[in-house]
Amino acid sequence: MSPLNKNTPPLGQHHLLAGGTPACAGCGGLENIKIIYDILGPKTIFVNAAGCMTLLSVYPFTPFPGSWLYTSMASAPAGAQGVRDALDILLAKKRIPADEDLQVVVLTGDGAAGGMGLSATSGAMDRNLDFIYLCYDNEGYGNTGYQFSAATPHGAKTTTSIMGNPGYKKDLFAIWAAHRPAYVATICGAEPHDLARKVAKLKNIKGPKMLIALAPCPTNWHFEPSATIQIGKLAVQSGHWPLKEYENGRVTHTKIPKPSDERPQVEEYLCRQGRFSHLFTPQRNETVLAEIQAKVDRYWQEVNDHYAG
Amino acid sequence: MYRIRMHGRGGQGMKTASRILGTAFFLEGFEVQDAPRYGAERRGAPMFAYVRADRKTIYERGIIVHPDLVVVSDDSLIAMATAGVLTGLTAETPLLICSNREASFYHERYDLKCQVIVFRLPPTTSSRSPRSSSCAGAAAALLGMISPHNLNQAVAQELHTLPSNLLKENQQAARTVFDKLQDFKGIVQRRAKMEIGRPQWLDLPLEVASIAAPIIHAPASSLQMNTGVWRTLRPTIDLEECIACGQCNTYCPDGAISLNTEGKPTIDYDHCKGCLICLAQCPAQAITAQPEQEEVS
Amino acid sequence: MSRTLLTGNGAAAWGARLAQIEYLPAFPITPQTEIIETISAWIDRGDMACRMVTMDSEHSMITAAGAAAATGVRTFTATSSQGLLYGMEMLYAVAGWRVPLVLVNVSRALAAPVTLEPDHNDVLAARDSGFLQIHCATCQEVVDTMLLAYRLSEDKRVRLPVIVNLDGYYLSFTREPVELPTLDIASRFLPAPTIRTDQIQASQPTSQGIAVLGGSQYSYFRYEQHLAALASLSVYEELGREYGELTGRFYSALELYQSEDADTVFVMIGSFATKAKEAVDRLREIDLKVGLVRLCLVRPFPAAELAAALAGKKGVAVIDQNLSMGQGGILFHELTSVLYNRPDRPRVITSYVGGLGGRDISLEDFRGIAEETAQAAKNGHAPPPRLLYTAAELTQMRGLQEIAKTQKNSRGHTL
Repeated sequence: MSPLNKNTPPLGQHHLLAGGTPACAGCGGLENIKIIYDILGPKTIFVNAAGCMTLLSVYPFTPFPGSWLYTSMASAPAGAQGVRDALDILLAKKRIPADEDLQVVVLTGDGAAGGMGLSATSGAMDRNLDFIYLCYDNEGYGNTGYQFSAATPHGAKTTTSIMGNPGYKKDLFAIWAAHRPAYVATICGAEPHDLARKVAKLKNIKGPKMLIALAPCPTNWHFEPSATIQIGKLAVQSGHWPLKEYENGRVTHTKIPKPSDERPQVEEYLCRQGRFSHLFTPQRNETVLAEIQAKVDRYWQEVNDHYAG
Repeated sequence: MYRIRMHGRGGQGMKTASRILGTAFFLEGFEVQDAPRYGAERRGAPMFAYVRADRKTIYERGIIVHPDLVVVSDDSLIAMATAGVLTGLTAETPLLICSNREASFYHERYDLKCQVIVFRLPPTTSSRSPRSSSCAGAAAALLGMISPHNLNQAVAQELHTLPSNLLKENQQAARTVFDKLQDFKGIVQRRAKMEIGRPQWLDLPLEVASIAAPIIHAPASSLQMNTGVWRTLRPTIDLEECIACGQCNTYCPDGAISLNTEGKPTIDYDHCKGCLICLAQCPAQAITAQPEQEEVS
Repeated sequence: MSRTLLTGNGAAAWGARLAQIEYLPAFPITPQTEIIETISAWIDRGDMACRMVTMDSEHSMITAAGAAAATGVRTFTATSSQGLLYGMEMLYAVAGWRVPLVLVNVSRALAAPVTLEPDHNDVLAARDSGFLQIHCATCQEVVDTMLLAYRLSEDKRVRLPVIVNLDGYYLSFTREPVELPTLDIASRFLPAPTIRTDQIQASQPTSQGIAVLGGSQYSYFRYEQHLAALASLSVYEELGREYGELTGRFYSALELYQSEDADTVFVMIGSFATKAKEAVDRLREIDLKVGLVRLCLVRPFPAAELAAALAGKKGVAVIDQNLSMGQGGILFHELTSVLYNRPDRPRVITSYVGGLGGRDISLEDFRGIAEETAQAAKNGHAPPPRLLYTAAELTQMRGLQEIAKTQKNSRGHTL
């Protein structure tokens, strides 16, 4: 394995995001945020929607050397609009010099992103707001003990779907891309090169820059905290979590998994998480496992056909 | 009334332990209150749960400040002021600790005036230790009015979602600990009624919004939170084996690993929560982990 | 200063313009929409330097407004009724941020049933949000109050957002002569916005809207908001005098009309209070010694001022254009609660609910209220609360119910 610090965008030696947060040990969401913050730098304001990360700052403790504003579950992108517009006004009127400007970043979970926050998110893209939108996707309402959200994958056990989620994960990437924003990407903290390249790139893009970060959650997906990165890598390698980006009307896959007979089967990813244990014990649920695998295979077949065609 | 406070870490099952104890009291015909109390912190962070039991209707509510019995599932919490294990403890309050050490160790270390009773977790065949059942069984023994039958029933009721082999193991564990502590049966004393003092109220002054609003001006103040205390396993890096790849630094969610100019890592133990992602990811296998309580200093 | 005919909405827009607002997050809703249309047109024509952005909802609108205010620009926003309730979560949040902001609410009664006409249940739903509330009775007051509201909100002793309330239709769409302050006068009272030491910027990072753990911390922050709201009363009085010295129009927490020598006093808020003035004049002609006390401020509640104005009165009649289901008129209960412990409290206080959903309050209504309250003062006991509603209205309602009540459904079953 090659060293991570060579030939890649800066993955910091010391990190901006301070320790001492109340986030769970092994939090995949926090790992994403930590790396992204290092690349964006301290001249950043996080505008936070209700979710796990609400509790990153609990009075009087904040891990941010830069700024943070907590808004509400539904309206963080609107908070970003207010901050961005205000900064633009202050800059235009020269009430603040250019070096006082801030990069505005919405920080939201998948529950808000795919549910009540969607209207405000759509509005912000519609208005071509110059901001970064970071959704840490732990595929459920994690902060309330893991109920299924619009982002929960099919078959996953949550506290409100104890037999497995009958629904399917909402395709936020496609919904966002349909707005034709400046940039959309999926990322995963277990693939830091890919993540760092994308974040370094979007720093120089104006307009709405939308990120969905897979955030493996030891607490609610039920795996050992030490396995967060392994789970993330398996999600990517098995093809379950496609890494891709949208720009100028085109979708590009940034990491194509091996052919279906060579890559890890999805069940290798699923079987390591307690939220899918009912698909394996007391007996295997071949129907659901096959359905999930087939969906992933079909996805990549379509991607390959598209590139071939 | 009996007031029992049970301290543990998020994920160790102290909420369940309090519920087993509460149910056992209830089966004995007591009026009961049980509740967990969490802060913002998550798995691994100190938390507590509490049980009240009385022969008549319970009007008290909320956190127990003056306990009749304190149970600790993890002895590393005792030294931690924020965990509040010793809050309200008097010479008459037994302190029951799940530990492999001798009671005298705690008397000396923490200069405790109260009686300290230790018990060990019974051996188990599965990876999930029967910690909650054992703590409940131990507390039941000291309280003295809970029968083995009702303890068994309470474990069954509270852990009914477990597979039957695990449930049985929990029931056995509760009973084993319960039996072992019979020498201490009934040592928990109901506290005499306390005199009601007078409140030291003041008239809150009006202050300027810059300090009277929930705003933090200090950057990165969370560094003052010692989340290192969440750790149960302590990762150690063998710098001889380390190949300076930087992966531990990149993947540590808490930013608790920094690199020196040669690319060699240092762990900030004040903020390492012990997730062991670093250990799992280290390609040179230069990171090992040791149980944290052995390292208490 | 020039005198011109303006609607209440036009007056609100002018107030915002004279306050030199820099930012307007907006969302249309009747009867407020004319305010944002007016400002939008001024911006497009280059008459006003302001950035306006149409949001996806009032919830987003109030969030953007609060965030921009925290970042340091003078921000204005406006809504009505359902919109105010849709954004209610953010009213509490933004007040908790302690940022200066002015929001105009054009009162409109709440659904269901849906209606467009005014009463005060919308704005009183925001009563406990931490926003201060100033209620206007005329279009002139709307302009002036906009300037007062910014001074009040930005004052270091206060630092709370303010709702300026005007009634839909009766003010929003009604033209009256308004004396507009010149920009020079306005900015002598309310200078153009400048750099704020506490605004969010790169060199002074802050974390805002923070969570707390535990009731003690929460109590502190919430009670400080309350103390600031209480303190805003004397700040408002101070500003009202200062504004009066500049313009000749003085403002205070209460407006008193013929109340000093009155035996019976009407207590009201909003534009219907001018109808009460007309009633006072007419009823005095028939030897009913009545007067009016109007609350200009609802939050802070001018308790001491009210008690003084009503001290020793024989009868006080509170006319509420709102209804708290299962309790009654909100102002009645607020007023009685502040008078209860006073030895000089009025002999009786009567409660009337009227003007719901824009229902008129007629001179006949005022006469009935005055006479019933005077009689109650004589007897020493107050009648039960009353809805202002006539036999003719019920007869009309019965006619409508006949139409609504289809006798048979399509299967021929009687309903």
